[in-house]
Amino acid sequence: MAEQLIGVDIAPPDLVAKVTGRAKYAEDFRAEGMVFAKLLISPMPHARVRRIDARRALAMEGVVGILTADDITPVDAPGEACLTMEPLYQGEPILAIAAVDETTAANAIEAVNVDLQPLPFALDPLQSLRPGGADARTEGNTYVRTQESRDFQSLKWPRSVFDDAPPGTLPMGEPQTEWTIGDVDAGFADAAVVIEETLSHQSLTHHPMEPRSTMAYWQNGKLYIHTSTQSVARTQAAIAAQMDLELDDVVLIGEYCGGGFGSKITGSPIMLVPAFFSRKLGRPVMMRINRYEEHYVGRARPGFQAWTKMGFRSDGRMTALDLYIVQDHGPYGLSGDHNSAASTASLTYQPENMRFRGVTVYTNTPPRAAQRAPGGGAIVAMLEPLIDKAARELGVDRVDIRMINAPADNEAWMGANQRPLTSNFVRRAIRIGADQFDWAAKRQLSGQRQGTKATGVGIGVSPYSGGSSGFDGLIVIRPDGRLYIHQGIGNLGTHSFADTARVAAEILGMNWRDCQVIWGDTSQHLPWSSVQAGSQTTHAHTRANHAAAMDALAKLQQIAAMDLGGSPSDYMVDEGRVFRRANRSRGLSFARAAERAIELGGRFDGHELPEDIHVMTVGSATGLAGQGLMGVAKDNYGGEGAIQSWVVGFARVEVDVETGHVELKEYLGSADCGVVLHPRSLAAQIHGGAIQGFGMARSQKWVMDPKWGAGFANRFYTARPPGILDVPLEMDWVAVGEPDPQSPVGARGIGEPPLGAGAAAITSAIADALGGQCLCRTPLTTDVILAALEGREQPFSILDAHV
Amino acid sequence: MAVIRDMIPAFELFQPTTLQDALALLAEYGDEGWALAGGLDSFDWFKDRVKRPTAVVDLAGIESLRGVRPWGDGIEIGAMTTLTDVIENEDVQSRYGLLREAASHVATPQIRNAGTLGGNLCQDTRCWYYRSGWPCYRAGGNTCYASAREAMNREHCVMGARRCVAVNPSDVAPALIALDAQMVIAGRRGERVVDAEDFFIGPAIDITRMTVLKPGEVLTSVRIPPDYAGATFYFEKVRDRQSWDFALAAVATAMVTSGGNIQRARVAVNGVAPYPVRLENVERVVAGRPVSEETAEAGGAVATDGAKPLRHNDYKVALLENLVRRSLRGTEA
Amino acid sequence: MDFWRRAPNPWSQDVLLGVSWDLMWAAAIAGVAFIVAHALWSKVRAGPGEDGGGAPGSPGSGAGASGLAARVLRHSLTSRLFHWVMAASMLVLLVTAFFPVLGLRFDWVSVHWIAGVVLLATIVFHVVHSTVVRNWRTIWIDGSDVREGTAELKHFITGQGHPPGKTGKYATANKAFHHAAVVVGLGAIVTGVLMMFRIDTVFWAANPYILGDGMWGVVYVVHGLCGVALITMTAAHVYFAVRPDKWWLTRSMIKGWITREEYLTHHDPQKWAPEVGEGATGASAGSAADPAAVA
Repeated sequence: MAEQLIGVDIAPPDLVAKVTGRAKYAEDFRAEGMVFAKLLISPMPHARVRRIDARRALAMEGVVGILTADDITPVDAPGEACLTMEPLYQGEPILAIAAVDETTAANAIEAVNVDLQPLPFALDPLQSLRPGGADARTEGNTYVRTQESRDFQSLKWPRSVFDDAPPGTLPMGEPQTEWTIGDVDAGFADAAVVIEETLSHQSLTHHPMEPRSTMAYWQNGKLYIHTSTQSVARTQAAIAAQMDLELDDVVLIGEYCGGGFGSKITGSPIMLVPAFFSRKLGRPVMMRINRYEEHYVGRARPGFQAWTKMGFRSDGRMTALDLYIVQDHGPYGLSGDHNSAASTASLTYQPENMRFRGVTVYTNTPPRAAQRAPGGGAIVAMLEPLIDKAARELGVDRVDIRMINAPADNEAWMGANQRPLTSNFVRRAIRIGADQFDWAAKRQLSGQRQGTKATGVGIGVSPYSGGSSGFDGLIVIRPDGRLYIHQGIGNLGTHSFADTARVAAEILGMNWRDCQVIWGDTSQHLPWSSVQAGSQTTHAHTRANHAAAMDALAKLQQIAAMDLGGSPSDYMVDEGRVFRRANRSRGLSFARAAERAIELGGRFDGHELPEDIHVMTVGSATGLAGQGLMGVAKDNYGGEGAIQSWVVGFARVEVDVETGHVELKEYLGSADCGVVLHPRSLAAQIHGGAIQGFGMARSQKWVMDPKWGAGFANRFYTARPPGILDVPLEMDWVAVGEPDPQSPVGARGIGEPPLGAGAAAITSAIADALGGQCLCRTPLTTDVILAALEGREQPFSILDAHV
Repeated sequence: MAVIRDMIPAFELFQPTTLQDALALLAEYGDEGWALAGGLDSFDWFKDRVKRPTAVVDLAGIESLRGVRPWGDGIEIGAMTTLTDVIENEDVQSRYGLLREAASHVATPQIRNAGTLGGNLCQDTRCWYYRSGWPCYRAGGNTCYASAREAMNREHCVMGARRCVAVNPSDVAPALIALDAQMVIAGRRGERVVDAEDFFIGPAIDITRMTVLKPGEVLTSVRIPPDYAGATFYFEKVRDRQSWDFALAAVATAMVTSGGNIQRARVAVNGVAPYPVRLENVERVVAGRPVSEETAEAGGAVATDGAKPLRHNDYKVALLENLVRRSLRGTEA
Repeated sequence: MDFWRRAPNPWSQDVLLGVSWDLMWAAAIAGVAFIVAHALWSKVRAGPGEDGGGAPGSPGSGAGASGLAARVLRHSLTSRLFHWVMAASMLVLLVTAFFPVLGLRFDWVSVHWIAGVVLLATIVFHVVHSTVVRNWRTIWIDGSDVREGTAELKHFITGQGHPPGKTGKYATANKAFHHAAVVVGLGAIVTGVLMMFRIDTVFWAANPYILGDGMWGVVYVVHGLCGVALITMTAAHVYFAVRPDKWWLTRSMIKGWITREEYLTHHDPQKWAPEVGEGATGASAGSAADPAAVA
């Protein structure tokens, strides 16, 4: 019997390269004649470039050229180009200079004179919404999409909206987005307890370990680009589209990605600088992004200024949820974190009635992008302590109140569209998590004091999207008897590029040592794939590889039946052979079958392809045709409903009441993500995501000077992602493991939900340690907690942004 | 001029093996020279091109600046001794646990392996306005951006401000003040010794410097007398993250007790003023009193006399009072 | 030598920070050079054994000479007090401004602004006093002063023209110095008051943003220029005060009076007749200190 490949720990094939340093990331590549580029970034939060004088720079020895916004393909607003003549945030790249070495390029940048005309700027959405408040963009401060039109708008609320809001309460003017399910007023009328709070959540940079460095060169009209990206196939497509190239004319190499968290889904605009620059210069261009630049061009999670009102019946059931979110959008694009927050809240609590109102406002702050559980992670971190508050007031156990509100099955609803789910076992996740955490005992510790330390225990229920479908699988069994699994997804450290490949090996009864995953280089014939984001990959590509493997299996059986008689269904596979069920010795090796496939040609070796596969897969399969027995298919398994995974976090903290210091004593994450593909990898997601959540909940934020629009949290030590000493010694996990019935493998993605679970468990636990006092803001830094404990004025108002 | 960050420009590196050579080089290059210890502060400045010396004098090769040696009944620690070596030294561990504790709260193990005692003491402030290369008073300009009404000054000072509101970030400085240490300074004109508390200067005296070191001078060693060896020690540093973060406030207290009474105590704090502050009023209040919660309360109550918080750092007043109070309870940390 | 200190502001715009401290040295050197040159030239012009200051004339019997007391009141006690308080605050301002630049470190800012406030107060008093109580015209330059001054300067330098004649209460050079002091002092004070907004004082909390960067640069430059000019002017003023030929004037600033002979030698009673009323007022004011001043 071939080894079991699903549900067991198997080291991914890139492990040795990573730990020995042999793995080559984008900035490790070199090419003949390569030059280095450096960026000139805007010192102002909003300005117009009046004049660029680069004569002194270009005269420097070793400098080979300059790239400005005039040299690149324009991008339609509100899209973001890689260089601009109207920077919309401090740190936005204006131009690049290339030189034979990086130091010369940097020195040349210092010699450039850019004459900038400062323009009005806005850092805080609420300030921009005030009458007379500055708009972040010359076109307006928001973008309105209706069925008839889409355009910028300068949205201002009447002064009365602000004057009528008591201090520390969110002013709520006309929203941009609004939906209602049921009747919230009726829901509140039904409620035994109503809770109303203003909430805030600060923006924070992604700060993956690897900054988004890129090296690019052109050969025979083709662009070769080494970049740091989460997805491979989809980044190739994105680059081709942005550079007006045919897909075939882009070769993307990105075998390793040192973290993305949503900031590099299909790379990011800055990766195009070396692409355009190398085309202009006719030389390879390397542009290494340093940590400082990464802060600016590296994407960030949007901040929220929010308000909620929740009603609960005496048994804890949520009768109504009213939510208003003002989202800090940054200067570009169309981000919908606020919408995700609303739909996540609806899914988590299944309120009987709900209203959501939201506004998203452009600001002159670094660009936003999805960050691990966008919207959802932030909203559960904000709302879970309020669920606790309701439970306390009602005398309901905090686990029970979550059980009663969590959806019981897949007939749950989420968001305005009220879609059901493919499957859902969150209540089981809550229960097994509570058991393993020993909630019954731990809740007794709630509020207990030992010296100056007050204990708090918390829970965070966090759903997020866990899949997509309809992508292609592409595998080849070559005459060497090995299985080559081509993966168009990326390798951002989650193991899914290998874990999802094992589905194909398992179906074909192969040992993992006889398999090879091909990934990270689009010249290696990769199939059309999902973006490596939104926790789609595990779901999407277990299915796609399943489909491809089933196709290969059928072909193996057909070849065996042709050569050895009987019908295809008489044959089965194991240990690299296809053989008769009744007589194991009567069969073919895969090596032989591959040779036969080549001899037979047609659909067996990829010369004939299914009609429904993506054009990219067609190209790749065509390139591989004739090399062996090909399994190629689109995931047509279908399915109904939203694909959602869950993690329920349980945390115990100790808050020092004299210093505001919080120590995380233990954490447990309980997951509902279908079949567990790879336990160790799942643990890494549950724990790693939670740690990222700890950072969001406790320490990470931007700090910007409002006078100059300049940011200070632009280094690791000022951005404050959690360090190892901020992580509890005891971290545990457990998973429901119930297969998703709508997927052949039954696995759902799990990248996103751990973040919200970690963050919410901490905000809930801290509120518990403070005797149920919800500070209603993230991050809950030491000063915020101490000010609350001491009854002093908070360092900042709850509605202050970037403080 | 456009700004480049995170990229060290070229400089001439000197690696002298004697103190005399180092001092001669520093004298020769004057304002263009820079004495380099572990580099944790220096390289930040160089990388951001805010400070651009043309000659860097690396003190790492000067053997006489390393190591812990007896000094009378006390000890003398070479300024270039790494923080890890300080932490692991037996004398420091057994007699001067306060210093050990303070040093072990610096940043991360990697940084402590490279960072030196002298470097930690002489490091510049982390005020982000100043570090951003803005022309503030400390940088020779006319403005304190951090004290402006709208400024981000959560991490700035609550006492000792004079135009500049930055704080001293050193963790070991308050411990050495509490231990009544002395700083040995070498210059071209010879050696001078100053008390630890006088080593640090505030912006009132010189807004561009953190210590009394004049250009061309080098801190060579720290002498710790036996007076507080083996005393009751307390060190605590409160920070947003538990590694690689600077103190929001830190306290270092050394108490000599007898029969349950505090005979004498030295209390120093950092992260709250532009220089580490010795709290003599606290020392006076607690001297001669029993080790008790009441004494701790009394000490804590006067710890913030004269404190004047900025717009966003009022919490530091409470934090400082609480830290001082905790440090006087007689339980070690 | 640099004239300005410049730096990029947070938006990388090149802004003025102030004058270069090189100018401090330039001003000091200019002051010393003036003193040396003046002293030497005075010697040269006067010939051996005589001081160059010279006496403008003999104590002839002018129209107003009759009835003069032996001592004529020149500066009332109020005026003298004003002068010396102002001088003290000015000296404190200069010391607190420039000694730290020289490397002498002390907590200078508070002393500096407090001295500035004192100076401002004395000047406000002086303006009111000299316009309401005294006759401000005595110090004001008019057309004849310009003609006389030019001729005297020409005489001092080249020997042509004519030597200083008898003057009103203040000689043209005195008036010119006062005018310069008004301009420079006013510049320093107005800019100084603005600069006080940048520090915490008893009056207000610091606010560096009441003016833009560019305007602040101008304020600092004006303050700096006035400051360094005051170095030169103070040096020159002190020099004249200690010159033997000017001692009678210095004494009058201490004691209030000049002798009748000095009055008749240096002053034209047509231009400055110490009125009885004035003299009496001054006398009574100065009487405690100096009964001899009473006519």
